[in-house]
Amino acid sequence: MSGCPGSRTIDFSEKTSQEGSETGKRPSQLRQWPIQLHLVSPMAPYFQGKDILLAADCTAFAFGDFHKDYLKGKSIAIACPKLDSDQEVYIEKIKSLIDDAKINTLTVIIMQVPCCFGLAQIAKEGLEKATRKIPIKQIIVGLEGNILSEEWI
Amino acid sequence: MKNVLNKEIKEVINTYPEVGRILDEYGIGCVPCSVGSCLLKDVVGIHNLDPQQEATLMYRIEKAIYPDRNVPKPVVDVNKKSEPKKITYSPPVKKLVDEHVLIKRLLALIPLVVDYVENSAKVDKDLVLKCVDFIRTYADKYHHMKEEDILFKYVDNNAEIIQIMFKDHDTGRGHIRQVVEGAEKGNKAQIKEHLLAYRDLLTQHIKKEDEILYPWIDRQLSTTQVGEMFRKCNEADASVGDELPRKYEKFIIGLEEKFLQEVTK
Repeated sequence: MSGCPGSRTIDFSEKTSQEGSETGKRPSQLRQWPIQLHLVSPMAPYFQGKDILLAADCTAFAFGDFHKDYLKGKSIAIACPKLDSDQEVYIEKIKSLIDDAKINTLTVIIMQVPCCFGLAQIAKEGLEKATRKIPIKQIIVGLEGNILSEEWI
Repeated sequence: MKNVLNKEIKEVINTYPEVGRILDEYGIGCVPCSVGSCLLKDVVGIHNLDPQQEATLMYRIEKAIYPDRNVPKPVVDVNKKSEPKKITYSPPVKKLVDEHVLIKRLLALIPLVVDYVENSAKVDKDLVLKCVDFIRTYADKYHHMKEEDILFKYVDNNAEIIQIMFKDHDTGRGHIRQVVEGAEKGNKAQIKEHLLAYRDLLTQHIKKEDEILYPWIDRQLSTTQVGEMFRKCNEADASVGDELPRKYEKFIIGLEEKFLQEVTK
């Protein structure tokens, strides 16, 4: 096992223990469009004064209850700190969300792979550049979709 | 057992003193509590024990109350060590914990202040009143008011633990009134009695808040509420200005220089 943990091939298709229930339909908790951080405007009405979820692209696929447990009640922006370009724009957008949209909190949800921590760093830099201060929470999702940690940073 | 869980802890301990001893082993100090009206179920829940520890504690309590009952022993994984839970705070609560640090620095100096007052020919009224000013302005107005006006509003104000906190604040204010009266009259014994009583009260009070109350409140707060509380606390701080905490930190540093140097002489 070598190479970048973010792109290393791992197969857990044999995993059999599946807790939880498959019954019932889960409605989407998405209340906005667009969602990609390059495409959203901090001035969009759905950001004003809200709790924001800044999600690394992979998290919604990895964590089964993403909508129910983390998206519900929040507005969202998604990004990939490994592959996206022009990430300095992201820092400015976070700053603008804090200062102009006056968001209430920012929750950054990332995968456990090292490159994903870049998204938390973007959030911290945006906060440092902003005049207002808000609480930031970091949630780390394991590769098999488990929550490894959830803490205010 | 459900019946007992809904009883006030003082009543449970009075009827079954062994329960008090068991709780004490788990660091749950209800026996010396002057109020003791928390319900047993809340007492256990509020301390956020490791699930293994909680299962064992509940088993032992039930056996102490009903020794003849066939209570199933909880299955405890002996290989899984119960580790003390690391306490983490949300940002607004962390700010309140940080403010405790400056208050605790004054509490640590109180015995030295009391000795100084006792051994001086005349009561140093100015020194005593400056300590009172720190307590009334920084500890009470700046810090306790954020608890009472903001933090405690996020939980049931009638919860016993909150009522105990309000009572502690009031008792503390009573001691400080007595200290002021002692300073005005030049009554050294009155100053000593009430400054030391304030120190004992606040030391326990802060410990309860840092280790039990604040984590308990934090566990109940939603992300939205944390953001709201952060904003409200910042607004409260802004209303008094940055100068106030700086002024009182400077006062404590000065006091430490005066008294800690004397101790090391």
